[in-house]
Order: sequence, then structure tokens, then C-alpha cells
Amino acid sequence: MTNNYVGQRVKRTEDPRLIKGLAHYVDDITLPGTLHVSFVRSIYAHAKINGIETEAAQTVPGVVAVYTGQDIAGKIGPVPCASALPELKVPDHRALAQDKVYFVGHPIAAVVATDRYAARDAIDLIMVDYEELPVVTDVEQAAAGGPVIHEAFGSNIAYKMTSGEGDIDAAFAAADRTVKQRMLHRRLAPIAMEPRGVLARYFPGEEELTLWSSTQIPHLMRTQVALMIGIPENKLRVITPEVGGGFGSKLNVYGEEALISWISMQLGKPVKWIETRRENIQATIHGRGQVGDIEVAFKNDGTLLGLRYSVFADLGAYHQLLTPAIPTLTGLMLSGAYKIPAIQMNITGCFTNKMATDAYRGAGRPEATYVVERALDLVAAELKVDPTEVRRKNFPASNEFPFHTATGLDYDSGDYETALNKAQEIAGYAKLREEQKKARDEGRLVGIGVSTYVEICALGPSQAMPAGGWESATVRIEPTGKVTVLTGASPHGQGQETSFAQIVADELGVGINDVTVIHGDTGVVQYGIGTFGSRATAVGGTAVLVAVQKLKEKAHKIASHMLQSDATRVSFEGGKYALQKAAAAAVTGTSDPVVPVGEAPAGALPEPQTEGKTSLSIQDIALAAHLAKELPPDTEPGLSATYFFEPKNFTFPFGTHIAVVEVDRETGDIKFLRYVAVDDCGRVINPMLVDGQVHGGIVQSIGQALYEEVVYDEQGQLLTGTLMDYAVPRAKHIPQFELDRTETPSPVNPLGVKGVGEAGTIGATPAIVNAVVDALAPFGVKHLDMPIKPENVWRIINGH
Amino acid sequence: MIPAQFDYQAPATLEEAVSLLASDLDGAKILAGGHSLIPAMKLRLAQPQLLVDIARIKSLAYIREEGDKILIGATTTHYQLESSDLLKQICPLLPECAKSIGDVQVRNKGTIGGSVAHSDPAGDWPAAVLALGAELVLVGPNGERTEKAEDFFVDLLTTSLLPGEILREIRIQKPAGKFGQAYQKVPHPASGFAVVGVAVHLVLNDDGSCQSAAIGVTGVGAKAFRAQAVEAALAGTSLDDNAIATAATHICDGVDPNGDLYASSEYRCHLAQVHARRAIQAAKANAK
Amino acid sequence: MKLEGTHELEAPRERVYQSLVNPEVLQRCIPGCEKLERTGENIFAATIRAGVGSIKGVFNGTARLEDLREPEHLRIVVDGKGPPGFLKGVGNLDLEQADAGTKVNYSGDVQVGGTIASVGQRMIQGTAKMMATQFFTCLGAEAKTEVGEPPPKHGFFRTALRWFSGWLRRFFRTH
Repeated sequence: MTNNYVGQRVKRTEDPRLIKGLAHYVDDITLPGTLHVSFVRSIYAHAKINGIETEAAQTVPGVVAVYTGQDIAGKIGPVPCASALPELKVPDHRALAQDKVYFVGHPIAAVVATDRYAARDAIDLIMVDYEELPVVTDVEQAAAGGPVIHEAFGSNIAYKMTSGEGDIDAAFAAADRTVKQRMLHRRLAPIAMEPRGVLARYFPGEEELTLWSSTQIPHLMRTQVALMIGIPENKLRVITPEVGGGFGSKLNVYGEEALISWISMQLGKPVKWIETRRENIQATIHGRGQVGDIEVAFKNDGTLLGLRYSVFADLGAYHQLLTPAIPTLTGLMLSGAYKIPAIQMNITGCFTNKMATDAYRGAGRPEATYVVERALDLVAAELKVDPTEVRRKNFPASNEFPFHTATGLDYDSGDYETALNKAQEIAGYAKLREEQKKARDEGRLVGIGVSTYVEICALGPSQAMPAGGWESATVRIEPTGKVTVLTGASPHGQGQETSFAQIVADELGVGINDVTVIHGDTGVVQYGIGTFGSRATAVGGTAVLVAVQKLKEKAHKIASHMLQSDATRVSFEGGKYALQKAAAAAVTGTSDPVVPVGEAPAGALPEPQTEGKTSLSIQDIALAAHLAKELPPDTEPGLSATYFFEPKNFTFPFGTHIAVVEVDRETGDIKFLRYVAVDDCGRVINPMLVDGQVHGGIVQSIGQALYEEVVYDEQGQLLTGTLMDYAVPRAKHIPQFELDRTETPSPVNPLGVKGVGEAGTIGATPAIVNAVVDALAPFGVKHLDMPIKPENVWRIINGH
Repeated sequence: MIPAQFDYQAPATLEEAVSLLASDLDGAKILAGGHSLIPAMKLRLAQPQLLVDIARIKSLAYIREEGDKILIGATTTHYQLESSDLLKQICPLLPECAKSIGDVQVRNKGTIGGSVAHSDPAGDWPAAVLALGAELVLVGPNGERTEKAEDFFVDLLTTSLLPGEILREIRIQKPAGKFGQAYQKVPHPASGFAVVGVAVHLVLNDDGSCQSAAIGVTGVGAKAFRAQAVEAALAGTSLDDNAIATAATHICDGVDPNGDLYASSEYRCHLAQVHARRAIQAAKANAK
Repeated sequence: MKLEGTHELEAPRERVYQSLVNPEVLQRCIPGCEKLERTGENIFAATIRAGVGSIKGVFNGTARLEDLREPEHLRIVVDGKGPPGFLKGVGNLDLEQADAGTKVNYSGDVQVGGTIASVGQRMIQGTAKMMATQFFTCLGAEAKTEVGEPPPKHGFFRTALRWFSGWLRRFFRTH
């Protein structure tokens, strides 16, 4: 197979339409007669609803219907939670509030009108009779007691869990020293550039519903929404148009998706809802939300003996699809890139009067890497050694893989030392430390932060996944030779239309423009699990690879038959099947590659009947497969292959990030001097796409480390309600990145790919925080919580 | 994000605009760049019945030198001010302040008149027009009047504009003699508004000592203000580092500094002090 | 959000107190108050068009007077809701005789919710202070009026404030 495409920086086939504004997002899809929906959402964090007056709203011209919780009771099932933790408390959460609301933004009523302006006007006329209830927003207070949000459970604790292997008590008993630190992960808002949106169209005659949704999981959504609204699954089609980013926030089934579908069925008309940015910050899932203590036991020579992380997880007021599962992913990655014989994680998952948390880029793993990498720095500070030394000391060697961790995982492959060396070399680490010393002597506060991370992705073996961890692909060649790939993955900016085409084009020896990758339509594509957890290429790409290889086997069989030769003597190269020169020569005794008509090599097939054909293109084979006149016996017509790939393990990308910052003594302002990242995502299909993922991941880390925080006041009022207060990083906040890679293939899949979608966000945050803490080391600072705002830093420097 | 219903008129002349405003003093609102008003309307925090769009009145946007004055039309955009070669020559504080506002898109639409009339407590222009001792020309149903900038900014989002009046021009005395100007701002990472913003206009004696200082501060209080205590502390000094640092410590005198999610009032005042010092130093360095 | 301050009014304490519990005075002085009707003993239904600059919203709700200790102390509790959100507040007012005038110390707690809380956080404190100032300025003018005379005209807020702005700078103080 020639690598014309794989490994190259092929420009994305998605981009021309995106850049020209010709792509179709949900809101670009216009159907005649569409009705528009606007929501009344709770302005209180916890309240009983004693009544809802909708009469005035119904008189607004254009308003067609108003629905409240009563209207859907018994008609739309609860919003699904796919997590099956033992003794998990799952609140019955519906698309519209039933007798009470428990977070600001909780949908109470839906107005349906002939245009979105009338719908918006009408919601101002709906009067809700709220009876306020006491509010609990602090997760530790919620766990300790506080007002109970779901009375039936008797407390705000949704679950408690302990995980980990090894004798943790013995580890701490045997330690020369320990460190302990409380760490916070404040809530983040994913802020996809395109907020959520849903368009549903029900055809009463056919009893069929088509649902367009800006989602990451079209097939899973189809199954869930069908169950929620009681329509047969094979009468529901889910289509994802262009999706403007997800970052995990659209790896979900929201009440609005079922409600809009149901309303369309009630009214027999297309119904559309497009989320506003304010709704997006209020009522699309939040990320992170953990507070806890990390403790590490170690020896004087830096050997790690044990690690314990006890955490309160702020789940929010109810569960979305994976809410309770996210903290458990944190537990899985507490070994980091290190040999730690004993690990224990204690989770208390609690309800609070806030929006539900769920997966956001990294989904539990940034939390793990952060606490581990920060703790390693604390260990290094205790031992007064360079932070890289402690890390090196505890790395598994590259020949110790698969590496079993005390969290129950087997890391597939890794070479942590090489990545660290490379990053240090690019950064000129020794020189940086010298320059830092000089800067300190001048009174300048320069900090260097390192993070050597490993993360778990390419989710994953179905045993470990709530709804299947495999991925599907169909590859077929049409009669005209064009190639169609149907992938169950659901890209929403990652670029698989390009990278999968690269894989297939190389395998088939065709031009990349002859390969079309289709995804995101349950009416067209076989069942797939979707895109999240950095799985699309590792799992979905592998399915594509194996499918195309299956296809090639059949094509080879057909070609050999048409070339009237044994399959072993037919080669496939550059898109062509040809009789092999060597085989032909060996048989005829000449170097003439052609078998002349009429002459049969010794021991060959019967006399050829062909008209001198010596090679066939794959397009010839495709046509022949459809015309079905020259097929070998027992061969089905057509040229298509489907494969469902079940991975036997997760994959484990890793790397080293080094951040260099300077802190302004007077103001506490933080400036990047340099940013180096060496990431290993295994085999790279398209380096440009990988760079893009790393860029985006680092930017979201900068956001978490320095700028972003969803803030609720004590009454559960959301104070960071718009992008005027919620500070997503802008271009001016971002340093030049110095990026490089190592490539340690994964043994988990034949592509050797690990995945990279979340690695940047996981690796970068601790590097940045470590750098700022390092900058403030002269003040005896051991730890700082995120986001590290200039005022926090100023107070430390000036002892306020 | 959908405003309540409103009517829209785009008059061709200022006189028409004035009479449209007068037709509904309570419900009519002037629209210029719209980048403060339209977000408020989309949030339904402002619900004007009638928008009177003056951005299309070309004769209201200009930058002119007339005698010893600089005349700036109210609907001149931030971008026009940022890129004015004339102003870079004769009054660089204006382009420097303009450049710090928002982002490229905002600067292409937002106007100096709109910003001044809106009087956002963290808007940049009020600090600059105060530092330049500007005069504001207001036109209303009863004719035209001028108001000094220091009397114009009354309180939070409140100016001395009477109902029905439109700000039409900003008049600045052309800086003369040996002068130096600078604008220092701490932009809020999300909104880009001034957490603190200090505009400085220094007039120097021939020997480099300070003849007078005018310092406009925004972001710190309910409205932009002249830091008179700092001005007094600088006047007559040699503008050495110590004098500047000492003077800057008075930046919050007489003002109750704002505290919000991003910065406490204590930190804000500290930032104001630091940036006042830096702005004065920069103005001194820019002096010619 | 905590709100505290002191205002000096040029009227005797008894007059100030009487103005404070007089719904007609309250209706004139609460900024933007369009309607204030007694619905029970010391309970009033109110409609307030509150706002600052071009930011305005209509709130409907109640105001209650509690803990009445004439002429030295009272508490006002307000609770209003409207499209921009809700507003709840408790204000303790302590009146001290100060020569011929009255020193009013107020301390209170204001809670806002809904849109104004989620988009206007940076201006809430300033707005609350401004409205408190408007209220006390107006109250002072009312209390100064001799009994039987027509109430003072307050006109548009801007004119009033310009007139009183000098007075304001002297008397507005916070802890």
C-alpha cells in the first residue's frame, strides 16, 4: 500500500464549505411550516411550582401551543442516565419540570409559535407561581446535610465509591514522607461555538419522525429518544448536520431533544428549537466540578509508594447521560505516568442546586492528571529536587508495557522518558532553569512548569462501556468506481471526512477526491456509537480499515477470476490488479510480464479466454461486481464490506508539556514566555489534524487554568451568564506553541492509533499551574487553585 | 437573544433625528454603533419602542482641525479614530484609546458619541474625553448647548443629556506646547471592558517639569472621573519617579471603587494606582 | 449583596420617620415606583419601573414595613419580580437626630436573580447604591416640606440629580 495520503498534511475536505459559509448547521435547515419553540426556564435554584398561568401567552398572535410539565407527564419518559453504579440514586428528571425546579435554567414551559419572535415574546407573559425552597450550592455542604434536593433519597448523596488496588494503608505506613493538598476543579462551560439545536419533523401519514440534532451520538440518541417518546426505533431517523463543536457537551440526550420530537408528533408540523448562548451556559452540561484531597506517600529517594484521592463530585441537581460516571474516570487515571503500587480513590457524588455536570473535553481525566501532576511537584518540592527527576524516577520503562496500574488498567504502550527528553531538549530545559535563576536574582518572577501525562481514550471495550464501545464502518465501491464510506463515528469538527478518506484512498489506490465519507444519519449509516472519548480514529478508523481490507479481499478474488489467474499471482498496487511480473517470469522463464494468449505457464489455470487483459483497475472490478457477469462462483454481487470493530483495550496517549510564565509583581498578571508540547498519539494519519487538536486542547486548558469559571452565588443564581463574564480565551491570550511528537504505536488496533482529541486539555492544565506555582515559589507558595486570577496572585505576593 | 418589538427609523438629518426623538421621549432611543444598545435589547433589559438610527447620517462622522480645536463628529467610529493620521500627529491619546476598545468588529461599528452618551462605568472614551477637557455639543428640541465633559458624566450610566437631546460633536482643545499623552488599560478577559483605564494628558514646562496634568479614570467608580488629587500632586513637580509614584497613590481619592466577580474594590484600586503610575510615565516618555 | 450607607437629611427625625411610613411619599421616592397600594397593615403592593440609563424593567411585588420603632428604627422588606428577573431586599434603617437634621444609617441585603443577576453582576452594586441615593434624596426633600404644603416636584431623575448633585457629593458616604 502506498502512503500517498496517510501521514501527510492533507487539507481537509470539510473546510471549503465551512469557510465559505455553505455548510448546513441545524438552524440552516428550513422546512416549510416550521414552528419555533422558546422555553420558560426557572429563575430560582430550588422552588416548588404551585401554578403556571399560560393564558396570556396563548393569546400572542402566532402562538400555537404552550406545554408544561403536566402536559408531558406519562407521555415523555425521563431523561436517560446510562451510568449503572451500584446503589446510584437517579432522580426522575423530565423534559419539563414536574412539581418543582431544582436549578436555575430548569425548563418549565415550552411555547410553540409560527415564528421565533412570537415564541420569545410569549414566554414573557407566562407567570409561574414559585414557592422558594432553601438552596444548597456547595458540594461539601450538600454532602454533610444541607437542604435535601430530592426528598425521596433522604440525602444529597447520589453515590459513594471506593476504587483502587494495593494496600494503601501499608503504603502510607511505610512512607518516609507524605504530601497532602486540597485541590479544586471549578465548573467549566464547554462553550461550543454552535449552541444546541433541534429540528423535528413528523409525517403523520408515514408515522415517521426525522430529528436533526447538533449531537455527537446520532444512533444512541435515536434509541433513547424512541424509548422516551414511544415511537418505534425504526420509525425515527436522526440526522446530525454540520455540528459546530461539541467537546462532550453534545455527548448526551437532553430533554429538549425528546420534547421537540414529541411536539412535532402532537402538531404534525416541523418544530425547531435553537439554544441561545445564555441557555447554553445555564442548561447545557458543565464540566469538572470536583473538590478533594490528594495524598501521596513516598520514600526519600523519590519512589512513589501510594496515592489516595478523596473527592466530592458536584453532580448538579440531576443526572444527564454520564454525570455520575465522570468522576469514576478520574479514579482510573490516578496512576498517571508512574508506577504507584497502591492507589485509592474515594468518591462522594452529590447533588447540588445547579445544572448537571457531565463530559467535557477530558471527562474526568483532566481532573486526575491535574491532581497527580500537581502532587508530583509537591513531592519534588519536599525533596528539593527538580520536578522532572521525581517523574523520571517513577516512569515505567518502555519495555514494561502493557503496564498494569493499581487502578486496574493495562496501559497499551508508552515511552514516557523519550517524550520528556524531547520536550526538555526543545525547551532547552537546563538553560531555562539557569535563566530562571538569573531572573529571580533580578526580582523577576519566572516559573517553569512540567506535566508528564498519560490519558485513557479510544473508549473502549464494550465490557467497560454503558452502551457499547465498538465502532462500525461500511466501505463500498459504486458501479462508477466512486468509493463511499459509512462510519458510525460522528465527527463534529475533528476532520474524519478527510482522515478516513486518506486511509481508504491509500488502501484502494484511488484519489482522495473519489472517496466520500458519510456519517451522522441513522437512515443511511449502520448503527454506530458516535464520537467522544477521542475514539473516532482509533476505533472508528480501525473499523474503516478492516472493512476496506475485507472489501479488498473480495475484489482480489474477483480480479483474479477476471484475470484468470491464481490469486497468489495477482498483485494489487496503485489501484490496479495485475499479474505479478515475478510469478509470470518464473513460470515462463522470461522476464516478460505478460502471459501471451494461447500459451499457458506450466501448472496454470485452464487456457485464458480473455482478450489480452493483463491488469484491471479497482473501478473495473467495482463495475464487474455490479454487472455480475464475470463473478467467481459463490460470490455475491456488489462490492461492499462492513465491519464492527470491538477494541480489546483502551489506548493511552501520553506526552510532556512545558510551560514558561512570568508573573507581574505589581499586578499579579500572568504572561506566557514559552509553551512546549511533545505529544504521542501513536500513529498519525494527518499531522495537521493532530496539531489542530493539540492547539485546541491547550487553549481550553489555558481557559481552565487562568480564566474560566462558572460561578453560582449562594442562592444558586448563575452569575457568569454570558460571554461578557465567562472568559473563554481569545487569540491574544494564547502563546506561540512549540509542538513536536513521538510516535509509539498502539498495539490495540491495526492502525496503531491512540487518539488525541482530549490529550492537549489533559496535559496542559497542570503544566500551566505548575509554572505559576513555580514562579511564586520565592513566596513559599505550594499550591494555587484555578482559575489563577491576577488578584489571587497579587494577594500572595503582597501578603494581603 | 431576541429583542422585544420595536420600530426603526433612519433619518437623513440630525434635525429629523431630534424631532423623531421628541415624538416619543420615553420610548425612542438613538442607535449609533449599537454595540451597547443592541446587546441590552437582545437581553430585553432595554426595550425602546423606536430606534432612531443616526449612524447613516454621514455628516455626523468627521475628524477636523478647526483653528485651535479638534472637532469630532459623534458618529465617528472607534476605527476611524484609531486610524486617523491627523490625530496620531496632533492628539495621539485619541487613537491610542480607540485602539484599546473591544475588538476589530466592535471598533468598526462603535462610535465615540455612543460610548460617551452611554457612560458605561468601564467604557474607555469617557476617560479620554475627561483627560482632554472636552466640550460636548448637545442638540435638542430647544436648540444646541455645550456641556463640559466633567459636568456631563453624572452617575452610573447617567449623563446630563436631557430627554430628547443628542450628542452631536466632541470638541477638544488642540494640545499645544510640550505635551505627552498615554492611555493604560487593564482589559477584562471576557468583555474587554476596562477593569481600570487611566488616560493622561500632561503639559510640561520647557524644563520638563509638570505644568499641569489631566487624568481621566474609568472602570474604578460608578462613572469616569478626573483624578483631581493626582493632578494636583503632579503639578509643579519634576515628574521624577518618586513624584509620579506618590501622586498615583491618590488615584482613588473620593471614589468608592467598584468590586465585582473579577476584581475586588481593593485590588481594583491597586490596579488603578499601578496603571496611573504607568500611564503618567508613558505620557512623560511620549512628551514632545 | 450587602448594601450600607448613611444619608444626612435636612429635616427632623420625626418628619423623616413619618415620611418613611407614608405610602404616598414612598411611591414618589422609590425610584421608578409607578404604583404603591396598601394591601394590609404595613404591607403594600408595588409596581416599579426600575433601571438605570436605558436598562429598565418592570417589577411587580410587595413591600413590607416591619419592626417599627418610631422615630428611630424600621425595616423594609421588598420582593419583586419581572421579566428581567427578581429582586429581594431587606433594609434596616436607623435614624439619629443630628442637630436640626437627621442622620439615616441604612444597612441591608439585596438579592437579585434571573437575567439581571446573570448578565449585570458588575453593575448591581452601583445600581443599588444609586437607587438608594435617589431614594434618600427624595425623602429628604419630602421630609423638608411643611405639612399641608404640596409635595415637591421630583421631575425626571436627571434634573433632580443635577440639582442635588452638589448636595449628594457632600452627603453620600459608605462605610
